[in-house]
Amino acid sequence: MGYRIGIDVGGTFTDFLMIDDAGKSSVFKTSSTPKDPSIGVLAGMREMADSLGVDLERFAGQVDLIVHGTTVTTNAVLTGNGVKTGLVTTDGFRDILEMRRGYREELYNNKLTPPPPLVPRDRRLAVKERIDAAGNVVLALDRPSLDAAVDALIAEQVEAIAICFMHSHANPAHEQMAKAVVQERLPDAYLTVSSDLLPQARLYERLSTAALNSYVGPILKRYLESLRANLARIGFKGVLLIMQSNGGVATPQSTAATAVMTLLSGPAGGPVAGLVFSGVQGYDQCITVDMGGTSFDASVVQRGVPLLRSEGWIARQRLALPMLDIHTIGAGGGSIGWIDDGGLLRMGPQSAGAQPGPACYGRGGQLPTCTDANLVLGYLEPDYFLGGRMKLDRDAARRAIATYVAGPLGLSVEQAAAGMFHVVNVNMAAGLREITVSRGIDPREYPLVVAGGAGPIHGAMIALELELPVIIVPRESSIFCASGMLRSDFKHSYVRTYHALGGEADVRIMAGHFAELERQGRQVLHDEKVTAHDRVRVEYAADMRYLGQHNEITCGFDIIRLEQEGIDYLRSVLHEEHERLYGYSLRDAGTEMELVNLRVTVVGITDKPAMNFMARVDDDVASCQKSRRRVYLPTVREFGEVPVYDGERLCHGHQGSGPAIIEQITTTTFVSPEFDFVVDRAGSYCLYLREIGHTYLRRVLQ
Amino acid sequence: MTQAGKSGIDPILVTVIQRRLKAITEEMGLVMLRTARSPILSEARDFVTGLYDADGNMMEQTAYIPILAFAVPESIKHIVAYFKGRLYPGDVIIHNDPFTGGNQAADVKIVRPIFFGERLVGFAAINGHQADVGGAVAGAYNPGATEIWQEALRITPVKLHEKGEKRQDVWDLIFGNIRFPIVQEDIQAAMGGCAVGDRELVKLIARHGWHRFDAHLQHLYDATEQQMRAEIRDIPDGVYHGLSTAHYDGFTPGSTMDIRVKVTVKGDGINFDFTGSAPQTPGYVNAPPASTISAITLTLLMCLKDPGIPQNAGVMRPLTFNLPEGSIVNPRFPAASTFGNHLSDQISAAIFDALAPALPQRVTAAWNPLFAIAAVGFNSRTRQPFVDILFNGLKGGGGGTAGADGYDHIGLIACGGGLLAQDPEMFEMKDPLYLRRFEFKTDSAGPGQWRGGLGVEMEMEFLGDGNMVSAFGDGIDPGSEAQGILGGGRGMLNRGELRYPDGKVHECRSKEVVANIPKGTIWRQVAGGGGGYGNPRRRPAEQVAREVRYGYVSAAAAREHYGVVLDARTGQLDPTATQTLRGESP
Repeated sequence: MGYRIGIDVGGTFTDFLMIDDAGKSSVFKTSSTPKDPSIGVLAGMREMADSLGVDLERFAGQVDLIVHGTTVTTNAVLTGNGVKTGLVTTDGFRDILEMRRGYREELYNNKLTPPPPLVPRDRRLAVKERIDAAGNVVLALDRPSLDAAVDALIAEQVEAIAICFMHSHANPAHEQMAKAVVQERLPDAYLTVSSDLLPQARLYERLSTAALNSYVGPILKRYLESLRANLARIGFKGVLLIMQSNGGVATPQSTAATAVMTLLSGPAGGPVAGLVFSGVQGYDQCITVDMGGTSFDASVVQRGVPLLRSEGWIARQRLALPMLDIHTIGAGGGSIGWIDDGGLLRMGPQSAGAQPGPACYGRGGQLPTCTDANLVLGYLEPDYFLGGRMKLDRDAARRAIATYVAGPLGLSVEQAAAGMFHVVNVNMAAGLREITVSRGIDPREYPLVVAGGAGPIHGAMIALELELPVIIVPRESSIFCASGMLRSDFKHSYVRTYHALGGEADVRIMAGHFAELERQGRQVLHDEKVTAHDRVRVEYAADMRYLGQHNEITCGFDIIRLEQEGIDYLRSVLHEEHERLYGYSLRDAGTEMELVNLRVTVVGITDKPAMNFMARVDDDVASCQKSRRRVYLPTVREFGEVPVYDGERLCHGHQGSGPAIIEQITTTTFVSPEFDFVVDRAGSYCLYLREIGHTYLRRVLQ
Repeated sequence: MTQAGKSGIDPILVTVIQRRLKAITEEMGLVMLRTARSPILSEARDFVTGLYDADGNMMEQTAYIPILAFAVPESIKHIVAYFKGRLYPGDVIIHNDPFTGGNQAADVKIVRPIFFGERLVGFAAINGHQADVGGAVAGAYNPGATEIWQEALRITPVKLHEKGEKRQDVWDLIFGNIRFPIVQEDIQAAMGGCAVGDRELVKLIARHGWHRFDAHLQHLYDATEQQMRAEIRDIPDGVYHGLSTAHYDGFTPGSTMDIRVKVTVKGDGINFDFTGSAPQTPGYVNAPPASTISAITLTLLMCLKDPGIPQNAGVMRPLTFNLPEGSIVNPRFPAASTFGNHLSDQISAAIFDALAPALPQRVTAAWNPLFAIAAVGFNSRTRQPFVDILFNGLKGGGGGTAGADGYDHIGLIACGGGLLAQDPEMFEMKDPLYLRRFEFKTDSAGPGQWRGGLGVEMEMEFLGDGNMVSAFGDGIDPGSEAQGILGGGRGMLNRGELRYPDGKVHECRSKEVVANIPKGTIWRQVAGGGGGYGNPRRRPAEQVAREVRYGYVSAAAAREHYGVVLDARTGQLDPTATQTLRGESP
């Protein structure tokens, strides 16, 4: 028997999904080991071997594939514990990294200071050289000033270096010269050259991305070396793949030079997983929500493709590589409830995180959190959290809520907990609404795929708030991301700046650039052993804007039509995309457009594990009821006894009505009274508004 | 189980309604961002969305830059009074007049009354900075204006739509007096945003019923008022005086205009009295009351423990104002006033100065006052004229405060750090301007235990011929730099100069237009730093030494202002010499 394993290292838990050749999947969970995450990974491997009753070495030898989402680089940036990094940049521009375009995230908070720069000023070395926007050399590179910069970096004993000069996207010659000198004199330093990593206009974005890459590069390299050695030691001979921020996977070898591509590695499996589970019912779009103990991540999949963006922030540092458009809203189960001076209840943004955690964890947390409220409201079972492996302290939760929320408001503990639950749901719904509305999407047409240990408790209320009719809770909800990882393709994205007005763009030159980027991508796929022609897909896009606009839109297009129809085709692509995103286009105004960047994404299609569909049953769901429990029913504002179904025993075809609880080892799903539920053939629990039952059941039970 | 506490109010529902109102104003903002055309709206996000009740009280708002946050209520109150009994479903009102509650003539309000059944329940409003509003020059910034008519078309409240019908005659009259067609589209974008606000508020009220909604809304105002009053109670009772001086009225070189404020704190109320401030100026350096109140409010919010306080009418209830008529903070009709929003630099500095003894832990030293230019010329690549406001060059430092240095390169306080500098490469790719240098400026920050934020220096070259520079702002004349507070020192002055190819140098005044600038001319600009907070000699010596090594502070300034000595050879701190200079015993 061969196995594939998806591993998602989270802040609190490391989740494992093991799928065998027959498509049978099982779920494992260990505590994360932040100091060396590979320890937690090995512990999980041991647990899986034990569950199969074989020894570790024998099991490891049968594992064909491990796909790994890692947070080592993310944590290094969040905690400011990257390596000592130096920057070589253009004289006159050495503060761009620290200036951050002068952006302050909180308009009224005069106590907020900028984050410490990844590279302090005495390690930002200026070199006399200059290239202009068109790529012409205005000032030849001054070798003595370059040597002096490298001398200073040697004296500082930096571990990593980034090189970024003005307009290297238009002409990388000076960066390449500096690269040769640095490689010769500092051969052991981890080196990032901005025009190699991201040959794209926008100095701050390119520079910050290059600096981030160097800042975390050695850390990822060391971690992957240790992980591979540990896995080899226990006899693993299969393929190890690393989840990338763009939703694709890559080998450790091709990840080594682009460490920055793993900064969103952890949550990156979510959107693909959302698509898989909604796709079972024929959807090609969905909203995914993943709510864990310390985070609440949301994303949108549209027309079969997870939405991407080309820039974002991490720990207030700018990052500009194609990445999944994953929004973090609020703080998850750890959100702390508090009363402001006006006597109003607020939830977050402070979070108890994993340490000290919610009061009910009994790890020293005193403040009331969302998880404490869920316990008081009966959604969580104190003796069955993680299948009973972690006892929750209901009295501690009650005490925290009584002291900090119920007392000040003059409410009972239950009323206060209900209020906390309600406010969290409204906050999360508002966040989701913003994501969808800002992209011109009507959320009501999208099923909500809800995952994470805490997500399915809140899903029904969020859906009611947004008028969403369908919620899908994957059976493996708590290891949602891991299941997406096992179904992700190889994916490498390339960009090159080509700045031209529409009327002056040369399709032949563009085709040359596209061919070159495609060649790079195919080479990497080849090195990753994706060789079959029909396994490779290439996607083309251009960043365009109307003349006078500041921000460009990334528009995918058909390369054959570009070659046949020329630039007018790209114009029509921009009009359509602009219309879709912003509600209008300048098609009739005759406004000229401007090209800024060309993009190519190569996708290497992987073998997906088989979906293990369930046989349909016809028996009554009552056979799966394990107990009744008193839970809070938000829409009627009172507690009621509801049936608790054993989620593990529910099968395809089982149907029931809210109010109800579906309980699994790692997840609790709350079915509010407005919803009925049905189990689809993938085993997902599907909640739907009663009035659409007729059409929806046909979709699920067909 | 019901959650109603005393008086039938459910405290949880109050929070929920507040959050939903906020979400509606955010959605109105997204509609604006998605549909507005002018980059002032879609990029610089110079607009505010809001919901108001039938009496004109603010229910909630979303502002992307602080100066607009409390700039609209005066206008709504005027509209409520003006149209009393004559408002109908489907009406849309337009307004910009500073003498009937407007803040700045270029900031145009679109207001839509909202009905729940037959009942008028409130208004949705969007106030946005339009690319043009008529007047003598495009964009309303006219340093030569002495009356409002030279700045803008004066629009007192008038209906663009009535009962759902467009009033084409009114529409044509207004837009027949505005230069750019794009403004019509941006007004339509604001109307679209208000329609969304209308639809969503009606849905929210329907969900809870009018009486229940209204009772909880009133409770929300009360709760926010209580929170504000609690903040004010934290300020010791007393009468506090503050002063800051604006420089150059655009007509008389060397002119100065004092802004004097007397802040009276009594229990949980606070009054701002500007008696003694300079009389109104002959030009456009005047702040209409709505601008003044907005500047006061944003400054006060920056002094709060909880800057995340809900933004509704409750915030304003404990605040009273005395703005003497005919003064620079409340000019008489028909004064010009487009510069008024920028007096927020001096208004905020005067308030911080006044509150320093009362709230030493919360006040901020003065921020670098705005000095900006618009560079205008012809772009041969696009074959179009260009206008670039040099956001990169104008963003100086914020003021220091207890526990935090001033924010580096943040720019004017009115924007609170929400306005971003252009990226250097994009800046050069857009128009024929070439950056020679763009860095933090050594010794620009006011020294202090917590120093001011760093300012910047930029040098750029005009690559094309026939350029013009239009300068507006302050901080150029000696004495106009950001002042320190509680023992902190002042930031560096702003400076702007043109170096012509023939070697001539022209130093720019703070309000000036320079034309016929030839190719090869260098524009050099320094945006000064913010004022420092507290005695600089109490700043840890090691921290000062590090900033000397970074080049943010010169060795000479370290010695003079901070009493810190570095070993000239190693660049390391000389602890003995430092202790001696600081008069500390070793």
